[in-house]
Amino acid sequence: MSSSDMSDLDAHLEEAKKRIMNMPEVPMGQLPPHLQRQRTRVFCGSDAPTNTESIQYSGAYASMGVDNSLRLDQFIKNFKVEVIQIKHDVKPNYEYFMEFDMIGIDAALANAFRRILISEVPTMAIEKVLIANNTSVVQDEVLAHRLGLIPISIDPRLFEYMSENDTPNEKNTIVFKLHVRCTHGRLTVRSDELMWLPNGSGFAMETDTYSDKKSNPKTYTSFSCSQDSLPEFCDNPISLTHSDIIIAKLAAKQEIELEAHAVKGIGKTHAKWSPVATAWYRMLPEVELLQEIEDQLAEELVKKCPVKVFDIEDIANGKKRATVARPRACTLCRECIRGEDWENRVALRRVKDHFIFTIESTGALPPDVLFTEAVKILEDKCERILSELS
Amino acid sequence: MNAPDRYERFVVPEGTKKVSYERDTKIINAASFTIEREDHTVGNILRMQLHRDPNVLFAGYKLPHPLQYKIIVRIHTASQSSPMQAYNQAINDLDKELDHLKTVFEEEVLKHSRDY
Ligand code: SF4
Repeated sequence: MSSSDMSDLDAHLEEAKKRIMNMPEVPMGQLPPHLQRQRTRVFCGSDAPTNTESIQYSGAYASMGVDNSLRLDQFIKNFKVEVIQIKHDVKPNYEYFMEFDMIGIDAALANAFRRILISEVPTMAIEKVLIANNTSVVQDEVLAHRLGLIPISIDPRLFEYMSENDTPNEKNTIVFKLHVRCTHGRLTVRSDELMWLPNGSGFAMETDTYSDKKSNPKTYTSFSCSQDSLPEFCDNPISLTHSDIIIAKLAAKQEIELEAHAVKGIGKTHAKWSPVATAWYRMLPEVELLQEIEDQLAEELVKKCPVKVFDIEDIANGKKRATVARPRACTLCRECIRGEDWENRVALRRVKDHFIFTIESTGALPPDVLFTEAVKILEDKCERILSELS
Repeated sequence: MNAPDRYERFVVPEGTKKVSYERDTKIINAASFTIEREDHTVGNILRMQLHRDPNVLFAGYKLPHPLQYKIIVRIHTASQSSPMQAYNQAINDLDKELDHLKTVFEEEVLKHSRDY
């Protein structure tokens, strides 16, 4: 390398250094666009997503004079909710879900809500099954399990938890009775055969003394009054969300007689108490065309996408151009960036703080109430781990 | 049967505190909090909130074992603050954020049901 080359290189390095330190195009206290994009977007390449982490550390951009800490008032200013749809049709298609956008929160919070919805919001579910007779081909324990999974449409807030030493009473137990017998042919037992017993159990407990046989026999529950006399149930009797769930199939002369006791519980104990069919979220997809895509290519692009994210619009002198029409529908299947050069034409990203949240309720509570319950549960947790520290 | 009782996952056993605080003896302004019967639901949002506090130098949580139903949150702060103060502030802020979130959500649901 000659000396003139060396000095050239030096000069070049000097120049580069100056440029890095000054960055005249970037005002102080603001991130350069590429960093800002890395902070707020997940990039979806054809091989793997990148920049997936959420940058939470308050001093992450301290060297650029940018404060990454988030204070309460900022959060309140930026936070937004948009309800997209709520469906409450119980019959005939049992659509019971809602979709809404939460903008301006971190994945940690969105995930906490999802976890709470699935496993910590209480519902009522059948927990004890007293089988008096079961000559069907379904074994007792399988039958009990099937019964447990049937959703009951009753507000769980009207009931109390039953702890181990409690006796079942009208405030913590719902009793259903099932008595079916097949006389001839085949019989399908559906959930509408389950009858609510507002007076509690009808089965007498076995006692070894014969003395009190005449007086009221002791049953498996001790209700002090009938549930249908209580104000909360007198005009909406307790029923099951679905009346057509198949419980068992009976052949001629087979019989099932049982009593099912439902109690309050949470999904952490057993999934049958989970109030949601599922609750999930996804980040808002962002699709950008990095260059004009025209004619032949445009048509190819429109054809590539299975969910029709792209459209074609006509521009001057008979040319056509691809546009991004429905980015929200994008499933990030990455079909559009597959193949030669497509990654240079289309960019797929996700917005890190925009969550599309979907809740499907099993029917005990409407999905919007479930969400507010979840927020309340998280608030209680916060209060609890603060107040019990001292 | 020797399966553990199902309620053991969320009922704090008698004689144990829900939250306990232990100072680090070697580093000043560092401490760990043991929170009984909690999991990633609380741990992760707490960590998130602590990271946003400019006085917190380190914050992390761990679930020591999937069958031990507790989490350990470790906080190290700058000298202007203390782990206890950071913890208190993080939870207070979270609580207020959630409160705000709930009101905004309820307003939007109301608006939505009025519109359709
Ligand atoms: S990633 Fe898939 S769904 Fe999204 S725009 Fe591309 S082809 Fe369409």
